Amino acid sequence: MAKKLKIGMVSPYGWDLPGGVQIHIRDLAEFFLAKGHDVSVLTPAIEDELLPSWVQSSGRPLAIPYNGAVARVSFGPVATLRVRKWISEGDFDLLHLHEPAIPSLSLLACWAAEGPMVGTFHATAPRQKAIFAVGPILEPAIEKLSARIAVSEMARETLTEHLETNAIVIPNGINHNFFSEAKANPDWVGSSIGFVGRFDEPRKGLDVLIRAIPEIIESNPDLRIIVAGPGESEDVLKGVDQSIRNRFVFLGRVSDVDKARLLKSVDLYVAPNIGGESFGIILAEAMAAGTAVAASDLPAFRAVLNNGKAGALFVNEDSQDLARVVKNLLLNKELNRELGKSGYEWSKRYDWSNVAHQIENVYEMVSAAGEKVSLGSDLRGWMRSN
Amino acid sequence: MLSWPLISLLFAMLVIVWYLSFTATRLDRLHHRVETTWANLDAALHQRAGIALEIARAGVLDPASSVILSTAAHTALVALPENRSDAEEDLSEIITSMVNIEVLGADLRLKAFELTESLNEVRSRVRIAISFHIEAVNSTKLQRSRGLVKLFRLAGRAPNPVRFPFEEIAV
Repeated sequence: MAKKLKIGMVSPYGWDLPGGVQIHIRDLAEFFLAKGHDVSVLTPAIEDELLPSWVQSSGRPLAIPYNGAVARVSFGPVATLRVRKWISEGDFDLLHLHEPAIPSLSLLACWAAEGPMVGTFHATAPRQKAIFAVGPILEPAIEKLSARIAVSEMARETLTEHLETNAIVIPNGINHNFFSEAKANPDWVGSSIGFVGRFDEPRKGLDVLIRAIPEIIESNPDLRIIVAGPGESEDVLKGVDQSIRNRFVFLGRVSDVDKARLLKSVDLYVAPNIGGESFGIILAEAMAAGTAVAASDLPAFRAVLNNGKAGALFVNEDSQDLARVVKNLLLNKELNRELGKSGYEWSKRYDWSNVAHQIENVYEMVSAAGEKVSLGSDLRGWMRSN
Repeated sequence: MLSWPLISLLFAMLVIVWYLSFTATRLDRLHHRVETTWANLDAALHQRAGIALEIARAGVLDPASSVILSTAAHTALVALPENRSDAEEDLSEIITSMVNIEVLGADLRLKAFELTESLNEVRSRVRIAISFHIEAVNSTKLQRSRGLVKLFRLAGRAPNPVRFPFEEIAV
């Protein structure tokens, strides 16, 4: 694209504790910066000094109970003020708002701004009763978005169900090279299964895997399970039979580099998650490392594994089926290699070069008229008086 | 002709029976008080959620605060008994943090004087209702824990009164 854009991105969640949404924003912003666009990210953050120059803080996030979980978001008069200031001083060609239906900065920005705006919806959630109460507040804001993106079919369905509006699906992105070029760590090579994530969260399904281990060991006496991610390993091991405890290697929270090396080293990556997944970026990353993947047949995983062609699927929450699939892939080296290869090829579509290009097309479309982002007409007077 | 020992025995039994019935009546009254204080608290909590919802819908807050407040208020209003305490606790926490960062502060008072006044009033009503309820629950529990009450099952089938976790935090 010849035209360089000035892009304003908004993150609803605190920058200090990076989750899927923040990492997505960071990678996307870095990609567009590298392409010569001008990007400014507005986000709640605790430490102003540690932020990259292109990230601006709206103040500390507040941890509040929201829909049965704790959300670290930003709201209130100070946040509103900062959002308005950022918009009116930014002179943006377009805004890219992430999770604009979450009560935080993106919603504030959506409310305050006029002009080309793109919204990306990440989460999937079951329909909530409270949506009747908040619909009248959210709908007028969501209406203002010139384009809506959902990161997966599941996220799109959530959006349709909650707010009766549609979106195009553009998947999450990964840095494909980072994983395909990672160096294997000899300690983790050979008869090894990988698992990455908050393993003490029941929905990540480590229990399902643990129940399958005795059967897998029968045909793989040297089996090891390498687990990376934050959590209390002792709590998990308490419920595990003494004889297989030493099969587990807990690495704790690991760096991005070590995560890539882990994915590269293991014979097989297993994702036994039992629900609540919107995308499954870790599967795309494992595939990019060239490692064969086996995952539960959640709709999100089914999609990212190309319906079982790019990675093996087993019946969700069924340890026996998991054991069958995993045994097969550990014993049959030829099959394992083939699956790893087709996963590798399939995962290229998730590389940022491809994903960001699709997003760039959306940007181009919404900003084609040359209109700029400004404060809503009801707020312009406000700017002069402040 | 009744002998003196028999008379004093009868008299002692009469006293015991009277005392048991007195204690049972007292317990009944206490249980009744637990119920009425809970009914008052329940009503105050409903009012609080209703006013919170009104404020959220009045268009005087920023949209994010509106969504947070109305989600919590709505959840509290429609909560089933088993989720009620959690829902009220969330609403208390949200109102408190919104007061702290001036979402529900002086600025709002200018725009929606009556609503903020009603909210302040209902919050103090909730506080008082909680202290009455806790007091009733505590004295009932204390009476029920007495040996005599347990031995003669004077509490009958009245359910053991409980304090809810949301009553322990600031509202």
